[in-house]
Amino acid sequence: MAEVLWHLGSSSDNWNHLKETVLGRYLKGSVILVFGTLSLSICVGVSTAWLVACCEFPGRRFFEWALILPLTIPTFIAAYAYFDFLDKLTPALIWVRLNISPDAMITFGDILRYAVTILVLSFVLYPYVYLMARSAFSRQGSRYLEASRTLGHGPFSTFWRVALPLARPAIVAGASLVVMETLNDYGAVQHFGVPTFTTGIFRTWTALNDMPGALRLAAFLMLFILFIILIEKLLRSGARYHGDKTTGLAFQRYSLGKIKTFAAIFCCIIPLAFGFIIPVTRLGIWAYETLENNFDKTHFIKLTLNSVGLAVAASLAVAITALFLVYVARYFKSYMVHVSNRLAILGYSVPGAVIAMGILFVSGQINDVFDFIITGSLLTLGFAYLIRFLAVAWQSIDSGMERNCEQYNEASKSLGASAFISLFKVNIPLLWNAVLVAGLLVFIDIMKELPLTLILRPFDFETLSTRTFDLAYQSQIPESSVPALCIIIAILAPVIWLNRKMESE
Amino acid sequence: MNNLLELSEVTKSYDTGLPPAVDQVSFSCLEGQILAVIGSSGSGKTTLLRIIAGLEMPDLGRVTLKGETMNSQNECVPPESRDCSLVFQDYALFPNMTVQQNVAYGKASKNNSELIDRLFDLTKIGDLKNRYPHQISGGEQQRVALVRALATQPSLLLLDEPLSHLDPELRNNVRCELLNIFRVTNTTALFVSHDTEDALTMADQVVVMQNGKAVQIGSPIDVYSNPSNSYAAMLFGKTNLLPRELIPCAPYSFLDEDSGKELVSIRPHQWMVPTSKGNGNMPSFTGAIRSVNPKGAYQEIVMETETTLLTIHFPRVFSAAIGDPLTVVFNKDS
Repeated sequence: MAEVLWHLGSSSDNWNHLKETVLGRYLKGSVILVFGTLSLSICVGVSTAWLVACCEFPGRRFFEWALILPLTIPTFIAAYAYFDFLDKLTPALIWVRLNISPDAMITFGDILRYAVTILVLSFVLYPYVYLMARSAFSRQGSRYLEASRTLGHGPFSTFWRVALPLARPAIVAGASLVVMETLNDYGAVQHFGVPTFTTGIFRTWTALNDMPGALRLAAFLMLFILFIILIEKLLRSGARYHGDKTTGLAFQRYSLGKIKTFAAIFCCIIPLAFGFIIPVTRLGIWAYETLENNFDKTHFIKLTLNSVGLAVAASLAVAITALFLVYVARYFKSYMVHVSNRLAILGYSVPGAVIAMGILFVSGQINDVFDFIITGSLLTLGFAYLIRFLAVAWQSIDSGMERNCEQYNEASKSLGASAFISLFKVNIPLLWNAVLVAGLLVFIDIMKELPLTLILRPFDFETLSTRTFDLAYQSQIPESSVPALCIIIAILAPVIWLNRKMESE
Repeated sequence: MNNLLELSEVTKSYDTGLPPAVDQVSFSCLEGQILAVIGSSGSGKTTLLRIIAGLEMPDLGRVTLKGETMNSQNECVPPESRDCSLVFQDYALFPNMTVQQNVAYGKASKNNSELIDRLFDLTKIGDLKNRYPHQISGGEQQRVALVRALATQPSLLLLDEPLSHLDPELRNNVRCELLNIFRVTNTTALFVSHDTEDALTMADQVVVMQNGKAVQIGSPIDVYSNPSNSYAAMLFGKTNLLPRELIPCAPYSFLDEDSGKELVSIRPHQWMVPTSKGNGNMPSFTGAIRSVNPKGAYQEIVMETETTLLTIHFPRVFSAAIGDPLTVVFNKDS
């Protein structure tokens, strides 16, 4: 990240050209996309979370877990599933050109492009907000919501005055994940032709062959991210309360009348349909047709093994590293270790393209200094995954250690056991579940990952996601459905298991 | 006085395989009365309170408030529409609101600014108006929760273990404060507690809950001195459960379901050393002292007779040592 930020002031042949022509567009595109996706994701995520957590209606238990299913669909695959959506709007564009003006058609086309991209991204990213908000509302249930009810307030008033303000930190946390994922996306924005920093980095590097220019764009993206992190910290630190206590009692959910029940079911079905059912159905139909025509089974098996093997190995490495870092920080309680841990997990906020640029640059320098080529190796790719996804595993293991191990470590210390013995005899057996959860979360993220893999993969090494992207890039979208569907199937079981675990906790 | 609250055969089960949490409970509460529901953990008292507040639906039975049916199989008035307020065990003060905002939150509190000011004065928390709940002590939070509930001017105030989070010294003060507030505001209150001292000092009427059933209803002193079973007897502290034939002059007794015997409950302070003037026909017990435990103002002596063990509370000045012989008689007037 330091390497990337260092290039903020570096020179590039094309920089003036980039600055005058596209930098503003990238900034505008990124801001519109982030703002639009964030707003829609919050609306969908918070409203559905409130409905399933606090209201009673037919199908609530089904929607409770089904609403997280869009999480299994990578953003770029969702975009491919709706690839012809914009084409269907062409008659409207022609109508605008004929009846208003060609300029109006261009403006209208841009609006549609942004609208469709925002819709597609929102319907697969809202589960981040949904999961956080649902958990927050459930925790409030038997405490603050019941208190509000006994003081005479109905559901609407309780939602606005109590539930929403108390859930704000959780919603901000979920929303920040949506922002990071939106800025990280390359496949969907590239497909719909929306200019963002990420597409700019790829274009400058590959089409203009201007690595310094791409690095400088990445540095600007980093600044943008730092600005968003700052806003997020401000929003979360503004909360002067801790609303996490629960009484453990069952919460009597609001029962809805006939019209409200219908509206609640409709509210839950729409995101589920657009975020999961429609894309998966379309992919399924295309996959069926592809399998019937020309399908290279051997190549497909190799792709699957590459993807799953890489994801398993990397998630194992990430989980073990996170366990080691968390343990060292918590056992020795050193301020320096704590700060270095915090720095190490910053990678999750940084888009894959930026991390890839930084690693490419550093690995190039290592190549030159040590005369040892590591660029384009699986080791580099694994290291990139470690940087990007360490935070995911770290959070899970850290909260597990805080809950389960803190006092036992003290006891172990007082009984004269070494740090090594404490780790293997006390912490690892107690944290087994948390490490498994951490590993699965990283596995899901790596299976869905595209930009890092696309840039850093070894020559002639393909994964399911890169194959999906390559086929779609070559306009073979129906053919890309088989690897795409395979990614979704691989992620589905861990996502459902993790949701069950979250609910039971 | 009229019945404000009436429960009729109220039953609630959580799990079909387990006994009901609340089992056919019936009682009523008069206007202006303070009613205590007491029982040990898991006896169903909190579930009962939540049913009255509308936070739980009973499986069977009926709850009537001011003559209007709240719960039945066919109808249910939601908690927000009931004329009662609940003070939660952990107070449930909204952490995102100041004390003032918490107190003014109730829907019916909007037009009660005069009452709120009076309650602030009465509870001495007027200086805390602009603080957040996490910035005030447990005792202060308890008072804020009480004022918040009273500010809505409910017909019935419900309190869930209102004093359980307070330390013993503060509890005594708060008991007096609560009684004073209820009296001044003419509040009808129903509280649940596992602490019988709360019931003895504050309640006009007590309902004793055991395994979901209301096993005894009566005035605190009645329940204390005339328990309906051994559970109710022991709920109020240490007691000696003796067969009726050993203390034939005891004014009360009950039939113990487990042993099938008629038992009397004699509290440890109801014994005395025989006086020189004689003790009439009062039964006496002779035995050896097994243990002596100082308890501050008094000492607890356990004496073993031929047939039973007796727990006795004597003043500290009484000289007693382990192994000493001792004769005690039942003090009917104590």
